[in-house]
Amino acid sequence: MFWRILKKDLKRKKTMNIILLLFVILCSMFAAAAVNNIIAVTGGIEHYFDVADVPDVIVQIINSGENDVEEKIGELACVREIRTEHYLCVLSSKYFKHNGKELDNFTNTACLLSDSEMAINYFDENNNIIESVDKGCFYANAPFLQDMDIKEGDEVELTVGDSHLTLKFMGRFKGALFDSRNTAFPYLIINSADYDYLDKDEATHIMNGWQFCVNTSDVDEIRELAKDYSGVYVYTREEIKGIYLYDMLSAYVLMMISIVLMFTAFVVLRFTIGFTISEEFREIGVMKAVGIRGGSIRSLYIVKYLAIAVIGALIGYFCSVPLGDMMMKTISENIVLGSESGTLMGLLSSGLVVIMILLFCYNCTRSVNKLSPIDAVRNGQTGERFRKKSFLHLGRSKLPQAAFLSVNDVISSPKQFSIMIVVFTLCILLMAIMSNFALTFKSEKILRFFNVPSCEAHIMDSEIFAEVAADQGTYKQTIADTEKLLADNGMPGKCTITTATQFETSHEDKTAKLLFGVMKGETNDTLYVDKGSAPRKTDEIAVTVSALDDLGAEIGDRVTAVINEKEYEFIITGTYSSFISQAFLYKDFDLGNLPAYTILGIQIHFDGSPDKEQINKNIEKLKSLLGTDKVHSTSDFIEHLTGMSDTLNAIKQMMMIITVIVTALIVILMERSFISKEKSEIALMKAVGVGNGSIILQHSLRFVIVSVIACIVSTAVLMPISNVMMNWVGNMVGDVSGMKCDFDPMEIFVICPAILIGVTVIGSFLTALYTKTIKASDTASIE
Amino acid sequence: MDTVLQTKGLCKTYIVNKHQNNVLKNIDLTISEGEMVAVMGPSGSGKSTLLYCVSGMDKVTAGEVFFNGRETAKLSDKELARLRLDEMGFIFQQMYMMKNLSVLDNIIFPAVKSKKNTESRRQTEERGRALMHRLGIDDVGGNDINEVSGGQLQRACICRSMINNPRMIFADEPTGALNRASSDEVMNELLSLNRDGTTIMCVTHDAKVAAKCSRVLYLVDGGIVGEKEMGHFDGGDKELRDRERELNNWLMEQGW
Repeated sequence: MFWRILKKDLKRKKTMNIILLLFVILCSMFAAAAVNNIIAVTGGIEHYFDVADVPDVIVQIINSGENDVEEKIGELACVREIRTEHYLCVLSSKYFKHNGKELDNFTNTACLLSDSEMAINYFDENNNIIESVDKGCFYANAPFLQDMDIKEGDEVELTVGDSHLTLKFMGRFKGALFDSRNTAFPYLIINSADYDYLDKDEATHIMNGWQFCVNTSDVDEIRELAKDYSGVYVYTREEIKGIYLYDMLSAYVLMMISIVLMFTAFVVLRFTIGFTISEEFREIGVMKAVGIRGGSIRSLYIVKYLAIAVIGALIGYFCSVPLGDMMMKTISENIVLGSESGTLMGLLSSGLVVIMILLFCYNCTRSVNKLSPIDAVRNGQTGERFRKKSFLHLGRSKLPQAAFLSVNDVISSPKQFSIMIVVFTLCILLMAIMSNFALTFKSEKILRFFNVPSCEAHIMDSEIFAEVAADQGTYKQTIADTEKLLADNGMPGKCTITTATQFETSHEDKTAKLLFGVMKGETNDTLYVDKGSAPRKTDEIAVTVSALDDLGAEIGDRVTAVINEKEYEFIITGTYSSFISQAFLYKDFDLGNLPAYTILGIQIHFDGSPDKEQINKNIEKLKSLLGTDKVHSTSDFIEHLTGMSDTLNAIKQMMMIITVIVTALIVILMERSFISKEKSEIALMKAVGVGNGSIILQHSLRFVIVSVIACIVSTAVLMPISNVMMNWVGNMVGDVSGMKCDFDPMEIFVICPAILIGVTVIGSFLTALYTKTIKASDTASIE
Repeated sequence: MDTVLQTKGLCKTYIVNKHQNNVLKNIDLTISEGEMVAVMGPSGSGKSTLLYCVSGMDKVTAGEVFFNGRETAKLSDKELARLRLDEMGFIFQQMYMMKNLSVLDNIIFPAVKSKKNTESRRQTEERGRALMHRLGIDDVGGNDINEVSGGQLQRACICRSMINNPRMIFADEPTGALNRASSDEVMNELLSLNRDGTTIMCVTHDAKVAAKCSRVLYLVDGGIVGEKEMGHFDGGDKELRDRERELNNWLMEQGW
């Protein structure tokens, strides 16, 4: 009998059961995809480092001549293993040609690595370890391939000095120690014979780079040793994880999206179960009346929901695989992700969905035990226990009838509709925040966080400032040459160069390696400080808040730093925000002939405040004079340096698609549930003479009201939330506070709400058309 | 007297599990203005289906239905809805009401919707209150529909059916879910309406209810097998008992 009732129920309440199944699928799909993302974010990089055989310590030598660091490290008793990579440096992208055209897609020096000298495991796109590279072939990482239309098998010509090579592209590679952002160094892995051929050319040795992968029991000993050398940088395995910050950020954003989607699915699921159970109160009453115990009745429904939950969770799990892959696409391009635990956790999360559905169901059926048979039968028409609902009165309202009913319905079921408002608000916020982030990360307003003076153009070709990179003492000549070039060509201006170099800094017993920035050249601008004042003497510095914390110092304290093998004492004059450095020197401080860790290009401030059109003309003129395309406007410079705008735009677009899908699903399924639940009312309205149009309008308007309220709420909270989140991101990416999000009013206040309202209107209207199938005479057959 | 409702060869057929079920067979019926017609018959005889077909709530399979001289089959859904709204009133056995509206709002809802109604909302509300007062439920106007008794709710349904001053009220077992006292109150209201000129067609199983009507139709297997003119009931207890006895005898002759 039990099974017969169940079978009959599944058949008779087909619509509601299908809706429930769809929501279980949705829920399980998002839960499994979100769990996969969380695992990828939290454990993915550790797994990647393990399979890539990343050592305990990485020692990098940049722009330095030959030294005996490798030998000295090898002599340390704590060192178990040392593996070395040596890079040949190609100063500019223009030395590469693809399809007969010089490349101009990257600004940094390209580094070439021999396949016989790979100190860690490098992976191809299919996550296979690259054992060797055929002669005349190469693999490249993401920064080399940015904005380049290249496919496997294409040939690239490389000319350095007198050497010329034609190399066949074998695909993109993943390097655990290499940053994959567009602004990072491009790396190529080539055959050892090709490497040896290029190695003989002096042009590949203008700059030099080494990387030692060291397995050791004492990191501090290596750090101590490195102090004695300039241009030698030591990173632990943990520190190197910082290069995945952008991937982590993207993953966190995706994780947030998944959680929102999961929350949405669970909320809607909760209502769907509530609807289906409440529809069945009459049957519950009948069963009780004939003597079936409350427990047995509950188990009947729990078994039904268990069956739906298990089927839905399984389908949802399989659907989550492509969804998870899509969401993880950006991250998996740069990281070798482990799939085993993801599969298991995906299944576990689907199992969790089943348990949650059963808990929901258990909670919803609690009232079954309390109800007497007659209670259940009396409430059987809808199963709903009424209470005072709306404060609106039709007689006193000026609203048209359909609008009144819609508003009244929304007010009468505040819980149900407010949850939908929350879900819709979250959908708009996710879209709009992504839009704000993408815009901010290319906005000129954040120029000050790169600690460069106000300027209109930026020369970013590393070949032009290669000398300064190798010897910071040459900046005067580079600036003078550039200013002369500008004056000679009718666009006079002042130039500055901002560099950053890492030095060990101490305050009392605390020591930290800080990246010191300095702005060289003539400018009236001083460093923008958040607190205190900018350094005005050579023995003054400003530091970031986190650097202040690391050193345990305060404004006014004295710190010491070892620069060029000499100890200097500085007074901290203020704190500042930066994406680039952690401490800032006064412009007259002499860094001698030290190589620079980072150069932010040459900044140009044209005389006479030219307008935008003139600036663009000047930039184009400079490009032809310098023979490079890497002269950027300020917004391009920022976009190039942050490198996040594109990723955020991609996430924004994905978010828009997901919002459209989720909103449409919620609207369609909820409206279908409402129709099912309100069948008697619809039939009654038709019986008293209300036309289909009015009923469809009333049903559609309810969702429009909800989406409009969601738009208003999101508009009110968008900017404060954006600013809080922007500062959180800014703190992760750099050491930045007080950032204000830029926004495109058209996009966030018009387009995003229009998408939501549009989807809601279309979805609810099309679903509400189903009310046409309910006839006035159905009043006779409604239970 | 003018004819309000007329059917010619009305048939209604349902297909259930590939089996044809002829619920109504060639019904010819004429109801004149001011009549109060009861439709009786055993369960499954097609009483409610007849009510729904003649009121335009359901489509007929064959035949013609004229309401106020207009053939309902030729009206569009929109026109049919307008006809029901402006010229018909409905009372159901279950006291169907809109859950999110108060009792008073439920009553005035058809008037607010009607284009025939030129009053302001305030005036409509006053008229709704007056109707409630007439039916003795004026103290529950602001209540939610769960806060009133079944009898009060059914009287509210009568108010709703009257709000647009319809030419005809269709009542499907209006007292079926009520106790005797409430049932008498509701029937007295319907009688009062009928005396004021509203035509009423009422489906019922209750001979006491039917005895108050001016004419009784007896349906068996989808066809009208008997018809009894009862004349207008004036309201005395003795007259009612006599009419009830007379009707019961007639019903027994019909096989009741």
